[in-house]
Amino acid sequence: MTQSGQTAPAKARPASGLLLETARFAHGEKVVLADLTLDLAVTRLAVVGRNGSGKSTLARLLAGLVAPQQGQVRINGIDVARDRKAALCEVGILFQNPDHQIIFPTVLEELAFGLGQQGRSKRAAETEARAVLARFGKAHWQEAYVNTLSHGQKHLVCLMAITAMAPRLLILDEPFAGLDIPTRAQLTRYLSHYTGNLIHISHDPADLTGYDQALWLERGRIAALGESDQVIAEYVARMTELGEADDIADLAG
Amino acid sequence: MISLTSPVRTRAHDWPAGVKLAALCGATLALFFIDSLAAHLAILAGVLALYALPGRAFLRGGLAALRMLWPFVLVVALYHLIDGSAAEGAVIVLRLVSAVALANLVTMTTRLTDMIAVIHWLCTPLRALGVSTRPLEIAIALVIRLTPVLLVKGRELNDAWLARSPRRATWRIILPFTLLALDDADHISDALRARGGLVSTEEN
Amino acid sequence: MERNVVMIALFAALIAVLGLIPQITLGFGVPITAQTLGVMLAGTVLGARRGALSVLLFVLLVAIGLPLLSGGRGGLGVFASPTVGFLVGWPVAAFVTGWIVEHWRGAPLTLVAGLASVVGGIVVLYGFGVVGMSVMLDKTLLEATALVTAFIPGDALKAAIAGMLTAALAKARPASVLSRAA
Repeated sequence: MTQSGQTAPAKARPASGLLLETARFAHGEKVVLADLTLDLAVTRLAVVGRNGSGKSTLARLLAGLVAPQQGQVRINGIDVARDRKAALCEVGILFQNPDHQIIFPTVLEELAFGLGQQGRSKRAAETEARAVLARFGKAHWQEAYVNTLSHGQKHLVCLMAITAMAPRLLILDEPFAGLDIPTRAQLTRYLSHYTGNLIHISHDPADLTGYDQALWLERGRIAALGESDQVIAEYVARMTELGEADDIADLAG
Repeated sequence: MISLTSPVRTRAHDWPAGVKLAALCGATLALFFIDSLAAHLAILAGVLALYALPGRAFLRGGLAALRMLWPFVLVVALYHLIDGSAAEGAVIVLRLVSAVALANLVTMTTRLTDMIAVIHWLCTPLRALGVSTRPLEIAIALVIRLTPVLLVKGRELNDAWLARSPRRATWRIILPFTLLALDDADHISDALRARGGLVSTEEN
Repeated sequence: MERNVVMIALFAALIAVLGLIPQITLGFGVPITAQTLGVMLAGTVLGARRGALSVLLFVLLVAIGLPLLSGGRGGLGVFASPTVGFLVGWPVAAFVTGWIVEHWRGAPLTLVAGLASVVGGIVVLYGFGVVGMSVMLDKTLLEATALVTAFIPGDALKAAIAGMLTAALAKARPASVLSRAA
């Protein structure tokens, strides 16, 4: 938010209270996240880790899309997996591939969907959706068919659809992977309009400048947690080390 | 993708699939001509003994497959008890369970590759007529390859739905899912064509 | 040619996945197994011949031991069970459904596809299913029919959904609706 400056509101954001107690998640036999315990006031948190470290699973856990097999996950006191209605106001999530997220054929329907699911009537949802589009300067998109949009435009639709629901905390799961330079810059700018708390998951530290805290996840466990610049520096050092070795050659079991 | 072949190795795993299938056809047919309750009891006991031979893991797997029959067993049992023809009902139930058990036994002791080989062999008359069976073979491989991939995409879409709704996904999710699948179809057609397509370069 | 084979394989995979994801509802909380919907769609979207081949491929893969039926069932056991008639009837249902969509051009696609799904996916399919059940359970056709009537309303709703989905697909990706390609 220090980059854009002009539209950022001056009031302080109340942090989102993140609470994980010995949270464990396994996919069949494979344990993806092991005994994670965390008690954090999140404003802007970066989550780094190698591919396969469990970052995406953590994202889904925090968004309440899956429940931990053991332990609990709470955001601002809400059990996000069980109390879905309340969870929708607390946390939203933006995934990597917009093609795997967009459900409806037109932009308006896509934006109105989440708004309707939060309890608004169909008409109220559509009015609100139009308002969101106008806020982003995209009022002319309302009748647009999603399949006519470019990749970057679809990303923006996904961003609008989730921020329209005004969650207090937004989780970004590698949202900028594979985007070209201009699209990435434009989306970063659109993202800066969002005034809530943020958890940005990425394996690429270049996306994560200016964050308050960072969490480094390694093979389903917390390798480091603390001030963003420091943790990320440690992470980069380790990744460079690994780059000089050859663990890509190892087959799993 | 994991098939229903049992990981517990038995001697039957090595018997030719074609022979097992032929024997199964014969046995199932015979089952339908036998009417004696005593005979069916003996047959089912024998089949269950075959399941028990390779050990508990095998038996458990086999019984799991039989579980899906319970509603039918219940309905038939009730019908015949009310009707007063309990013996007849017992024969029907026993015959049913034995037939499913025998068929499932073949599935559990036959590897997927062996089954595909049988299909290949069954198509020999087609090849004799000049019809290529390569499209079928590729189609089988494609389905096995595509199903887990589509499953992942389906789950991701489902996540995207759940991320914005307190309720489970409705049928509306099938449309974007189908579109994702169709996109895959385009990529795969290209990949297939880039590697020679369906034109077989040698006739067997 | 490649495109045909890929589409046939794709819909077979689609039918499999629709049986493997259990979490779809009808909209008012009633959970449905979407697999029959997949069979209907194979007919309405691919047409008679390709649709039937796709479903036939699916049934073949179930026979050779892949757990593609909803609930992870499969193998030869299901062909010895009372539901065998439905399995055998599925490709025929897809054929009939596809044939109707290919030839009935006068009315809106939602209606055509929906009714085609009823005729193929219910009338024809249940015909096969009831006969199969009657043989395996040694009951009269009437008795077998009584056993399956409970499922007809659900399948009727699925046929309606198939109609809507086909029309939506024709709007979103017209080139992929092969039943109307000619």
